[in-house]
Amino acid sequence: MAAQFHLEIITPTKVYDEGEVDYVRAPGADGAFGVLAGHTESIMALAIGEIKVVKGSVEKTYASAKGFAEITRNGVQLLVESAEPKGGIDLNRAQKAYDRAKEHLNRKKDEMEDELRALRALERSMNRLKVAEKK
Amino acid sequence: MANLKVIRKRIGTIESIKQVTRAMKLVAAAKLRRAQINMEQARPYAGRINDVLNHLLPDIDRSTHDLLTMRPAKQKAFVILTSDRGLCGSFNTNILRQAENIIDGVGKENAKLICIGRKGYEYFGKRGYDVVEHYADFWNELNFSDATQMARAVTSRYLSGEFDDVRVIFNEFKNVAQQKIAEYHYLPLVLEDDAEVVDTDYLFEPSKDEVVKSLVPRHLNIQMWRFLLESNAAEQAARMTSMEAATNNAGDLIDRLRLEYNKARQAAITTEILEVVSGAEALVE
Repeated sequence: MAAQFHLEIITPTKVYDEGEVDYVRAPGADGAFGVLAGHTESIMALAIGEIKVVKGSVEKTYASAKGFAEITRNGVQLLVESAEPKGGIDLNRAQKAYDRAKEHLNRKKDEMEDELRALRALERSMNRLKVAEKK
Repeated sequence: MANLKVIRKRIGTIESIKQVTRAMKLVAAAKLRRAQINMEQARPYAGRINDVLNHLLPDIDRSTHDLLTMRPAKQKAFVILTSDRGLCGSFNTNILRQAENIIDGVGKENAKLICIGRKGYEYFGKRGYDVVEHYADFWNELNFSDATQMARAVTSRYLSGEFDDVRVIFNEFKNVAQQKIAEYHYLPLVLEDDAEVVDTDYLFEPSKDEVVKSLVPRHLNIQMWRFLLESNAAEQAARMTSMEAATNNAGDLIDRLRLEYNKARQAAITTEILEVVSGAEALVE
């Protein structure tokens, strides 16, 4: 049995305590990275993407927003602004957000800030849809 | 006799007022519980971000980050959190009065206002203050995305140079019976004095600078979220307390009116008996 480490996914509205896990893959700002037990202590910026958790033969995925990962000797904490387990994603809401952002982008090109916001919303909703639809 | 009817009607009116205030108290209590749970849940995230940021900030060259650079504060901005609705005791009056004092201290013309909650917007809008942004109708369904939206709006105005210093004035939730008005220095970001510095040598990915750059907006978001939650909990607590007092007062009033009613009824009966008796006596003679 390989060494395990403690994993917590912490969002402003909820803490997902995963307990002892074997492996986690997180969407780093410079590309996805994997963490095993004994990783160097580090702090990494996270992009919008998918968090994959492996515990024994069980695999779990989350759709997550921006944040950062703190890796210490005691375990790993992923601090992200939102995280939804694959089964808990509100597809309807994500689809609506996607449509709204798309429409916004098509209509408005004048205001930088608005466009950035719509782009971010688009990115988040696309990520949710992507994670939810993966088998 | 007319007096009796009037009193009866008044008792009925106050009875129904009491029912309403009691219902409002119960609703506020339920909302307060939810607000407290929200605050509890936000704590680990806010705490961690704060710790890491405090760990990083001393090593960072402040002038390389717009949100950290101190600049001469010519224009100041104030974010003022009030409720949308009244009937919550002195919750809004207190904060509005204090905010007005603070703002008048720097001068009306040097202050831009961001009003969160309808009451503040109505108050300052009417008095000719420069309200650059206002939000309402979100308190019932507080969402983290509300906080990020507000934080982003404030940040982008700050970055555009519209103002050089941002303070947040809000009601802090002390306990159910107590709210405290707090002022918080939101931008530029300052280090807390009592911060506990963690002594770990971290590896930073992509780089220390990049991490700070992505951490600061996260921190601003969660701080804004904390203000919303605190203010919300304080509002519900204030409403609960004042509605409880109103319910008690209505009860006292009903007791008094009932006493008066009984006295009036007794007097009426006595008069009637007197009339009957003196009538009968008149017949005997």
